[in-house]
Amino acid sequence: MSNEGYERVQTAMRLEPTDRIPVVPTLLPEPAAGLAGVLLGDMVKDNTLVVETIFKVFDEYGGWDAIYPGFYIPIQLQVMGNFPMKMSISGQELAPDIPFQLNEQEILQVEDYDRIAEIGYDKFFQEDYLWRITKATPDEVKKHMDQLIAADGLFTRCCANRNISRLFTGNGTHPFFTLSLMRSMVPFTQDVYYNPEPVERALQRMTDDLIAAKLAEMKHWDSNIWLFTEERAGGYFFSPKMFERFWWPYTRQIVEAMWEHGIVTLFHLDTCWDKNLAYFKQLPRGSIALELDGTTDLALAKEILNDHACLKGDVPAALLALGTPEEVASYCKEKIDIVGAGGGYILGTGCSVPPNVKPENFRAMIDTAKNYRPKAVL
Amino acid sequence: MGSLQEMIETLERDQAIELITQRLSSGENPVAILNDCREGMTRIGELFQEGDYFLAELLLSAEIFKEAAALLSPHLQKEGATDVCGTIILATMRGDVHDLGKNILATLLRAQSFDVHDLGVNVEPTDLLQKVKEIEPDFVGLSALITTSFESSKQAVDMLEEEGLRGKFKLLVGGGVTTNTFKDHIGADFQTHDASAGVEYCIEYMRKAG
Repeated sequence: MSNEGYERVQTAMRLEPTDRIPVVPTLLPEPAAGLAGVLLGDMVKDNTLVVETIFKVFDEYGGWDAIYPGFYIPIQLQVMGNFPMKMSISGQELAPDIPFQLNEQEILQVEDYDRIAEIGYDKFFQEDYLWRITKATPDEVKKHMDQLIAADGLFTRCCANRNISRLFTGNGTHPFFTLSLMRSMVPFTQDVYYNPEPVERALQRMTDDLIAAKLAEMKHWDSNIWLFTEERAGGYFFSPKMFERFWWPYTRQIVEAMWEHGIVTLFHLDTCWDKNLAYFKQLPRGSIALELDGTTDLALAKEILNDHACLKGDVPAALLALGTPEEVASYCKEKIDIVGAGGGYILGTGCSVPPNVKPENFRAMIDTAKNYRPKAVL
Repeated sequence: MGSLQEMIETLERDQAIELITQRLSSGENPVAILNDCREGMTRIGELFQEGDYFLAELLLSAEIFKEAAALLSPHLQKEGATDVCGTIILATMRGDVHDLGKNILATLLRAQSFDVHDLGVNVEPTDLLQKVKEIEPDFVGLSALITTSFESSKQAVDMLEEEGLRGKFKLLVGGGVTTNTFKDHIGADFQTHDASAGVEYCIEYMRKAG
């Protein structure tokens, strides 16, 4: 992959100064639908419409430096295990203008931890767990996956036509987060406190499986960035003591295994991670990037991880949905000045672009990154 | 064996529940047991505010309190014990079906003697309006994890304004996606990502209101 935008992203990942701050909004199908005036109830059935809508928005807003490869329909996220939960889907359980949402339910049972440890996560998921959460039949699951593969081809062609690249290729969910989603937050937290050993056995097996699967997956791509999502392990949820026992050792194994092959782990970290930032300094310089959602103090992250890890973020969803273009531009300039100084920063959204983003605010974010030149960066 | 307050403070779930059961069996006044539980929960809130406890501990303590309250409830009803220190309506408005944070807040408020009316998720503005008319709460708390409920939250507040009800309660907003921008947008009195801070706000307001 080689093009100006992606090279800018790679330069930031390598912690080197860039000609301007790269910008990569997390434009998923839901906000793309909002910006393009497409009904979500239609988007949830048709991967081709999703890809076309994403690129319609990309073109209308003058493009940006690399594109988020999220061209799913919701049920594919369930089938692939990104979100191993029951779902409420636009136009089905929800009104057609409301984005799909996950239903927090206790599906995984205590005895399943050891089953995962014994047979591995993928086998457990494919042969047993998936059928507890999905309404799809095996034939429908196959059809959804075939559709996704076809959409992947279309997405690749759309990128090639514009000479742009995907921000990342492989992606995965942290084993800790996966278990919390499957078990639901309250029982999982109780397990971690009151019955930790089975949880740890499952976490280690899932870590081993994830490393093997992602290394194999990344071999097929001409890219060295994969996305790794965690939304429930930071200092907002757990004490450092629990974090050090249940999250950090597995994370370290995964990051270091990927980095041995030159693969950078781009963390997607929701909620506040202020109390955990220093841990990431223990990982090899340049082996990680942190995508933060606006609740972690990005300036603090810069202070702690300067010249060690690339940072990405964090225009808040509420600002994009409710603010003015001037407020958005001002927010972006402040981040570029503070976090962009010396390089190692990608302007992004806090979590994803909200489905009800104001078009003028989205444009303000993209245009500010393209046009604003802080002295510190030059 | 430690006191019930200490067991709750240190999240010793099984021991706490066993002790409550023993004390009820021995004929102890359930109000006294409930007060001990509340004392433990107050200490949990303090530890959270001091940064020694995290959301996980709040959540675990809330689960212990729920179990305790379920055990105590029939006995309290027999005693006719009601000591409500304030009334609150909670809702996740139309467009959002998430309720983890709201549920934690509900339990923590109940632990502090608040009468909580939880309307659930995906709540229509008209349903909130109706409930406010019906029970005349001291507080309304709106939870949001995604921005798609912003519009229905604003609609609800506008309806309450039109009916002349908005000035009669304090409006709290909370949840991952809420910010001061959202608070100002709907004219709320308080915004937080922290359920414990929400409880503190309500307690402090009721204390000042006398």
